[in-house]
Amino acid sequence: MANKDKVIKLQILAAKCRKNVLRMIRAGGHGHVGGALSAIDIITALYFEKMHVDPQNPGMEDRDRFLLSAGHKCLAQYAVLAERGFFDKAILDTYGKLGSVIPGHPDMHKLPGIEANTGSLGHGMSIAAGIAMSAKMDGKAYSVYCITGDGELPEGSNWEAAAAAAKYKLDNLTVFVDNNQLQISGDVREVMNMEPIDKKFMDFGWAVRTIDGNNMEEILDALDALPFEKGKPNLLLCRTVKSKGMSFAENNVAYHFWNASEELLCQAEQELDSCIEDLEKQLESNSK
Amino acid sequence: MIGDYVDPRKAFGKAVTQLAAENERIVVFSADSGVSSGFADFAKKYPHRYFECGIMEQGIVGMAAGMATTGKIPVFCAIAPFVTARPYEMVRNDIGYMRQNVKIVGRNCGLTYSDLGSTHQSLDDFGLMSLIPGMVILAPQDPLEIEEATKAMIEYQGPVYMRIGNPKIPILFERRPFVIGKGQLLRDGTDVTLISTGSTTRDAIKAADALAKEGISVQHIGMPTIKPLDIELVRKTAKETGKIITVEEHYINNGLGSLVTDAVADMKNVVVKRLGVPEEYAKTSGDYRELLAYYHLDATGIAESIKEFLAAV
Repeated sequence: MANKDKVIKLQILAAKCRKNVLRMIRAGGHGHVGGALSAIDIITALYFEKMHVDPQNPGMEDRDRFLLSAGHKCLAQYAVLAERGFFDKAILDTYGKLGSVIPGHPDMHKLPGIEANTGSLGHGMSIAAGIAMSAKMDGKAYSVYCITGDGELPEGSNWEAAAAAAKYKLDNLTVFVDNNQLQISGDVREVMNMEPIDKKFMDFGWAVRTIDGNNMEEILDALDALPFEKGKPNLLLCRTVKSKGMSFAENNVAYHFWNASEELLCQAEQELDSCIEDLEKQLESNSK
Repeated sequence: MIGDYVDPRKAFGKAVTQLAAENERIVVFSADSGVSSGFADFAKKYPHRYFECGIMEQGIVGMAAGMATTGKIPVFCAIAPFVTARPYEMVRNDIGYMRQNVKIVGRNCGLTYSDLGSTHQSLDDFGLMSLIPGMVILAPQDPLEIEEATKAMIEYQGPVYMRIGNPKIPILFERRPFVIGKGQLLRDGTDVTLISTGSTTRDAIKAADALAKEGISVQHIGMPTIKPLDIELVRKTAKETGKIITVEEHYINNGLGSLVTDAVADMKNVVVKRLGVPEEYAKTSGDYRELLAYYHLDATGIAESIKEFLAAV
């Protein structure tokens, strides 16, 4: 089981990263907030706890790689990269501005720490698999992590990558399905049912676990257990809540893409501030 | 030796396999297409660098791009429409937009699959690939040039699409280094400039020979790079003859002819005629040469088109 203080510290970081997301939304006036906030706990845990990366040397040869197949969740990745020190937080205020290095979908040639130009759905898993194949081929120890949305699973190219990853025994590849159950047109199971997701990946030859993807303790325990099974790619089915952390927006598809008002931004920030305050108090009382 | 016939796929596969001995970064992806792309030897010699993924072109393009981010030089060859039109957006984003060092090779290009029909013919690959910023497009003209172009393609850092045909083709030229972006003057002349690429150069040479006997002086340019086009050479020859005729095994639109037309669009007293396949799903025939003749892309057809062009302007 993950250490309690470590969990709280990461929860605080995740809340700070959520505030970074809001900072970008304020700068640009809008953004894909729902999916960013459902995935951000996983990304926080990866960058602060799991991945071997160096913010001062983002292109370090044997770094672990993180790819966002669901590129529209990039506000979450930008938020975490900034918090982890990959770039100056002032850049967050350029979101939506002409020539910004943090566009609405990530660009590896603009921002340090981005590994692939995603945005069109169903690309990330193949690219991630290719990187993992290269690591295996060269006997390198680095790992590759990739987040897909549940709404992008109907893209056939995902299943091409799923088959290849199993054939090439990519146990150094972990795919997280950010299963927040909502896409722009509604419930993912109604738009196009891909359930049971876990069984589908198992049938493709993957080792699968299901967790609450907004529960830091469960995330850390799952990351600690990687690889789940030698010789099999890892699928972490993460049950998440869309817009997690903004009470008025949780599980509401209207916040898939949010045209934000200052009033609601302030409310969300206050909620996060009090959340951070509570967590810090817990940390303090634990240390007594 | 000049005149010997060689299977383009074998020339290509042999070249990659030879280069792979020196360059460990080269890896090969197969979509159930490796052996027919000339990679039987490569697969035997370098099994750990040969990835048989089955028929999943979209996935392969993504995986190749991912591998390239780690410094590998992935080569992916299959039937031309299946590496261009089929996974187009993966080529555009994962290789083009991501600027990855992946080499895509479309074989059995153009009308090669004469009787298999339009699903297997590629008459739009120059057009599709030329729309991708930074994509280099090669169409070598004979077996030795295929070998040299393969070498140049591997040495070049960045995305490349190369197209090759299928039936055996004769060696036309002595071996010479392949320079990306350069055309060659194959024959000097004064009445008209003929610009050919890829498989059509062989018939274009014959057409120019035949016309010479009739007193028509053809300036013939071989253009094995479609993009970046040798604009300097095109404009120089346009100035000299004022009349350009292009020939390619591709749709008339959006290929070599269109790029040449663009290159001379602001020049006075220059006219361009473009030979190729009109916008249609092409006829089929069990005989590839018969199909080329139907579309006036054989030596006789090219010579006749040149005469018609000269009579009309």
